[in-house]
Amino acid sequence: MNTSTPSRSDDLVVDIRGVTKRFGARTVLQDVDLRVPRGCAFGFLGPNGAGKTTLIRVLLGLVPASAGEMRLLGHPLPAERAAALARVGAIVEEPRFHPHLTGRENLVVAAAPRGAEAEGRIDAALARVGLADRARDRVGGYSMGMRQRLGIARCLLVDPELLILDEPMNGLDPAGILEMRGLIRSFVDEGRTVLLSSHLLDEVERTCDGVAIIDLGRIVTQGTLAETIGPQDNALLIGCDDLALATALLGSLPTVTAVAQSSDGTLRVSLTSGASAAGVNRALVERGIAVHRLEASRLSLEERFLELTSRLGAA
Amino acid sequence: MTANMARSMISAEFLKLRRRRGIFWWSLVLTSGTMVAAFTTLVILHLNDPGHYGPAGGVKNFTGSMEALIGLGGVASIMIGASAGAGDLGAGVFRDMASSGRSRITLFLVRVPGALLLQLPLILGAFVLATVASIVLAGSDPVPSATLIAQYGGWVLAGTVLELILAIGLASVLGTRATTIGVLLAWELIGARLLQHFSFLGDVRKALNSTAIDSLKPGGPDLLPMSVAAAIAVVVCWAIVALAAGAFRTRTIDA
Repeated sequence: MNTSTPSRSDDLVVDIRGVTKRFGARTVLQDVDLRVPRGCAFGFLGPNGAGKTTLIRVLLGLVPASAGEMRLLGHPLPAERAAALARVGAIVEEPRFHPHLTGRENLVVAAAPRGAEAEGRIDAALARVGLADRARDRVGGYSMGMRQRLGIARCLLVDPELLILDEPMNGLDPAGILEMRGLIRSFVDEGRTVLLSSHLLDEVERTCDGVAIIDLGRIVTQGTLAETIGPQDNALLIGCDDLALATALLGSLPTVTAVAQSSDGTLRVSLTSGASAAGVNRALVERGIAVHRLEASRLSLEERFLELTSRLGAA
Repeated sequence: MTANMARSMISAEFLKLRRRRGIFWWSLVLTSGTMVAAFTTLVILHLNDPGHYGPAGGVKNFTGSMEALIGLGGVASIMIGASAGAGDLGAGVFRDMASSGRSRITLFLVRVPGALLLQLPLILGAFVLATVASIVLAGSDPVPSATLIAQYGGWVLAGTVLELILAIGLASVLGTRATTIGVLLAWELIGARLLQHFSFLGDVRKALNSTAIDSLKPGGPDLLPMSVAAAIAVVVCWAIVALAAGAFRTRTIDA
């Protein structure tokens, strides 16, 4: 497991050590350690049923932990739960509201137990998520995307240091996803921390600075995105008109260490350290091979995720 | 928690209930609507056949209207209380309320004054309607005295507020509005009434909430008389048990 995340608890908004959660005889979380650094977007990944939402519920005090220690914004839990949650905004699973109330009324209801300051932030929060014009409509008529945005507005009522967003892209169209990504990054730019639980690996890779992967109730890796994905080898993906000739040619080049043909009709070419794509391209073109694709082959978060989770699943 | 925050939370509970149009209008129909319909009918009957039907007001019709009000107002109270108790859980909002960091006991307790803010004006409005009609339309019949009005007012208040509290407590335990309304109506209309007539149960029947409320009725109950102090004690015990059960469930439920 990567351990390069900060270790001083002052730098951590979430510090979970050895947390276990059992429902009867079933262990849903097993000895979980999770450290989320302050001021970043942190992805929390896992397959369905891995324990993501349960860990969030435990962290928010919605269900008690069976064992372990937790600190949220520096406050020990559950001893200082109220103080910790005072600056935490959270959406757990899908955002739920009273459908017979308007968007604004729902925020009034949500602000009531959070104090007068929260009530004073309602209009700004609605404006921030672009719902000011629909604030007087009943939530029962809102689309899923509007509910997600209203959920974010509800989080903003406490001027959060930490936002915990559980699958915030669910139900959003591409424009909505783009907008949500922008919102999340803007929160980070303001110095807030966003803990983003998701199974959309591409979104996490685009949005987050750090990541933790949970599977079968255990954290299998955590760290920065680069650390989690691991070292990238110097490789190229090449598409051309004569694969056989290209394979033979590339295999003879001293800068090429391996050539493999993939099922989509491209060649994956591993290069020696320091070798450039330009040199390979020149060699192919000089032999009259038309190159229509040439790009760096990068290990993605998705590949790393599948590798880690399937490895654990097979164990 | 500050007084301002308590006020905000109670207002929020009231807002959630007030904006439930179905609950509001049905409660209004069951309380003031019924009183208007009953006295209008009595006026029409009296005008059509004064020899057979006496004046629409007077003591007799006042007491009859109060018995109707405690019954139908009780149904309205159960509907309001069930919505107050199960509203957050039913809508899936309780999770957000619980993650505010506010004590779950507080989240439960504010449901009571929030529900009372809706229920009491409805009951009071119907009570005032019935009282005014009983006096204005009394004709030559005796009008209800101030003492009788106060006694019936207290009785109706005790009966309907107890139903409200029972509904809030039970709905907080069950987490569903419809089941709570069904269970409480079945208990009040069938279960408790049957048990009152099982003579082999003896004085155990005096522990029933309906027996206690009947005993507080001005002029005494038709069945199973008991002292006012004992009846009040039984009512208070039912209220405490309902509140304790609701608070316990709200505090311990997985959100």
